[in-house]
Amino acid sequence: MNGKRQIGLTIDGLKVQAAEGTNVLRAAEEAGIAIPHFCYHAGLEVEGSCRMCLVEIEGLPKLDLACSTVIREGMVVRTSTDRVREARKDILEFLLAEHPLDCPICDKAGECRLQDYYDRHGLTASGMVEPRERRDKKAPIGRGLILDRERCVLCTRCVRFLRQVTGTGELGIFERAVRSEVGIYDGVPVDNNYSGNLVDICPVGAITSGDFRFKTRAWFLARRPSVCPHCSRGCAVVIESVSGYPLANGERRVYRVTARENPAVNGFWICDLGRDGRHDIDDGRHGAVMEKGAPLKGLSWQKALADVAAGIRAVPGPERSAKVAVILNSRLTCEELALAKGLFVSGLGLGNVFFADRKPGPADSLLLTADRAPNGKGVLDAGFSPRLPGLGDLAAAEVLLLFGPHLLEHFGEEEVARALAGVPSKYLFAAHTGPLDRLADTVFPVAVPAEKSGTYINVEGIRQPFACAVRPPFGVVPEGAILSCLANALGFNAGDADGR
Amino acid sequence: MPENGVRLLPVDDDSWRLEAYLRRGGYETARKVLTSMAPADVIAEVRQASLRGRGGAGFPAGVKWGFVPQGGAAPKYLCVNADEAEPGTFKDRLVLLRAPHQLLEGMLITAFAVGIRTAFVYVRGEYVRVARRLEEAIAEALAAGYVGPHVFGTDLGLDVVVHHGAGAYICGEETALLESLEGRRGQPRVRPPFPAVVGLFRSPTVINNVETLATVPQILARGADGFLGRGLPKDGGTRLYCVSGAVRRPGTYELAVGTPLRQIIEVHAGGTPQGRSIKAVIPGGLSAPVLMPGEIDVAMDVDSLARAGSMLGSAGIVVIPDGTPMLDVLHATARFYAHESCGKCTPCRIGTAWILKIVERLRRGGGRPADLDLILRLADGIRGRTLCPLGDGAAMPIRALVTKFRGELEQAVLR
Repeated sequence: MNGKRQIGLTIDGLKVQAAEGTNVLRAAEEAGIAIPHFCYHAGLEVEGSCRMCLVEIEGLPKLDLACSTVIREGMVVRTSTDRVREARKDILEFLLAEHPLDCPICDKAGECRLQDYYDRHGLTASGMVEPRERRDKKAPIGRGLILDRERCVLCTRCVRFLRQVTGTGELGIFERAVRSEVGIYDGVPVDNNYSGNLVDICPVGAITSGDFRFKTRAWFLARRPSVCPHCSRGCAVVIESVSGYPLANGERRVYRVTARENPAVNGFWICDLGRDGRHDIDDGRHGAVMEKGAPLKGLSWQKALADVAAGIRAVPGPERSAKVAVILNSRLTCEELALAKGLFVSGLGLGNVFFADRKPGPADSLLLTADRAPNGKGVLDAGFSPRLPGLGDLAAAEVLLLFGPHLLEHFGEEEVARALAGVPSKYLFAAHTGPLDRLADTVFPVAVPAEKSGTYINVEGIRQPFACAVRPPFGVVPEGAILSCLANALGFNAGDADGR
Repeated sequence: MPENGVRLLPVDDDSWRLEAYLRRGGYETARKVLTSMAPADVIAEVRQASLRGRGGAGFPAGVKWGFVPQGGAAPKYLCVNADEAEPGTFKDRLVLLRAPHQLLEGMLITAFAVGIRTAFVYVRGEYVRVARRLEEAIAEALAAGYVGPHVFGTDLGLDVVVHHGAGAYICGEETALLESLEGRRGQPRVRPPFPAVVGLFRSPTVINNVETLATVPQILARGADGFLGRGLPKDGGTRLYCVSGAVRRPGTYELAVGTPLRQIIEVHAGGTPQGRSIKAVIPGGLSAPVLMPGEIDVAMDVDSLARAGSMLGSAGIVVIPDGTPMLDVLHATARFYAHESCGKCTPCRIGTAWILKIVERLRRGGGRPADLDLILRLADGIRGRTLCPLGDGAAMPIRALVTKFRGELEQAVLR
């Protein structure tokens, strides 16, 4: 465990070991003992202000904080004595005394620490008959975030996140005593690429996201892990979606993308670009095979794919290398890239296998990399030397297979249209509708990364396998399935890849 | 005024100037210490003198200095806590006005003992005139070479910076003081680490009260044994007792540690005015639990008052006369803590405000007898659970008032 010295201590009668320097709260968590807390967050400096994690430590007269107490050899900790229980109850009673209890209309309901802890540690009748403090319930603080000051428990996770992680410091605490409140400084709203984490780390419903507000209830959401495909960092994310019943028109499937802890890659955070990736999953998707720019009823992708195979077969073997061109992209998984390599390079012996990806964007010093594709390292790992096609290469083809829409980020629409005008067979495999659609004979709807299982290799060379987090809509398939079918149709062994 | 030699304050109002201080033998002790003693011996002497902190907690100063790690590359700092804001306390103000050079001399000795070259004096925001006097005194000392880069022709020096607070009670709490001094919101820090190890600007820091430091030269001048000639073996020297409220001669009295409370009130402060009697006494600033008239035969030192269920605190004695409605006292107390709570930790932020709301309702006549029990329960919810001692400081006096004056309060509530 990091090569750090192991310290032995006793928590609730359980002998446990944890690395030197660990605090009692983490050591207990590692041993499966949950100590309730609001202000403590492993990604932030210890604040010690919510007082929820008070525990008994043998030898100390008063209860002490599990979050700020570093473990010592032989330490004896008790987390569920009457004294500890009493303290938790009292803290919850204080917090709830000044809480609006508007859980029925609160986005956080169902995943709220205050609710959960009250259930587990509180359950007291309120003795509060005095009027509560009235505060602003919907203060816009920037980037679509809404602050409800009545729900806030002043844990200051948000304030500390912006000071210690992004270093932007947009939020502060204003006023004093019971009038204390979180706020932005005059006219300077929260504005950084990591703002969405404030919603994730808020232990109650004080900071909510305009994008998610009042849209659904937390308990309707299925949470499945995935890897963010919006840059080469490959942050761990959770795709939160509804499933199990057909969606009404315009209803969302994926409600939000949240951060997942992965110490090796992103720690606790993700950037707003990745979080906004929920639009990439649900918005502007192809739902059916299109031919000549219109969805073709009764045409399955399998049938349409038979045409592609026939088109390739029609090109005589010796000419294929020059006359069949393929454009791949770095959003494909390692498994898909291996299939593509096997089919196009080893199998068909094509010379014209190109790559077209999103153009690089600005990187930041936290997580976001300039490379806006998730698997650039995977492309190299598969043995490709990615290069962009020239328009002449495309114009010379008789069969063109386009994976992804990114060609138009590198060439103007009209020049691409001119280059493709003379290509007899053009097939586009794309998840989203776009201007390239009208230039292809047939458009196959394909899955986005959240709908796939596979592996990405991130910017640091870390292999990250992931499973399908949300089922693709009916008729939409991962490129892997298309590549396998095509290989089968052309008489090549598609390997063991999942041909679903 | 003191009966024998140990005297912190000159009687004369104009004798604060350097010239007068030098005439009284000022800075001679510091000269002796800096030119002929070893730092460790200075700490040992102060430790032996049982100098307990005069700010409120009563922690032995010499022990506190001993916690500062020696060596290391980081600078060390001395912070003088002159944020005197405990209700009923006005002694540090007097030290700063009348004997600022004595404070500076104490700082010089302390800085030498711990290996410090920079000191900050954090002066209560309302003490404008006081701060100005201190700045004048520092200018005098600087010009005469008693502070600054080279003192007494040695390589030792002490830069002194006066910092004006902005009027928050919480900044008298040592870690909140450090936060404020660093330019942030005055709010306590979680401990450990303690300031002696990680203090101002993350460097080892000694924080002492004004009176504590001003007492240091006496110890080195007379030796620990001489200092212990007054006071008690575990709580040496004299203290400045502030007496206010229903007494004939309110003021600050310098008396041996351990002088009985009754003697301070009845003899030194002249007792209650004609025809009035004592209803209650707050012995150590507002945070100290109130004593009943039958409880004032107590020695005024840290340990004796702790045994009596109260605390010596800042030694601010407030005499409450008969006829004072205790609901008013409770209200003033609750209001003060609810107003001055910094708001950082849950129990103090919400508990003090909740108690105040209840007391205000009781005053409006909307009370139930159960409200008094609720106040006690809330006070217990605060006590021992807060980030800094202010929580206990709020809970204890409120608890004492409700417990000791239960009958009167119940009647007032039901009225």
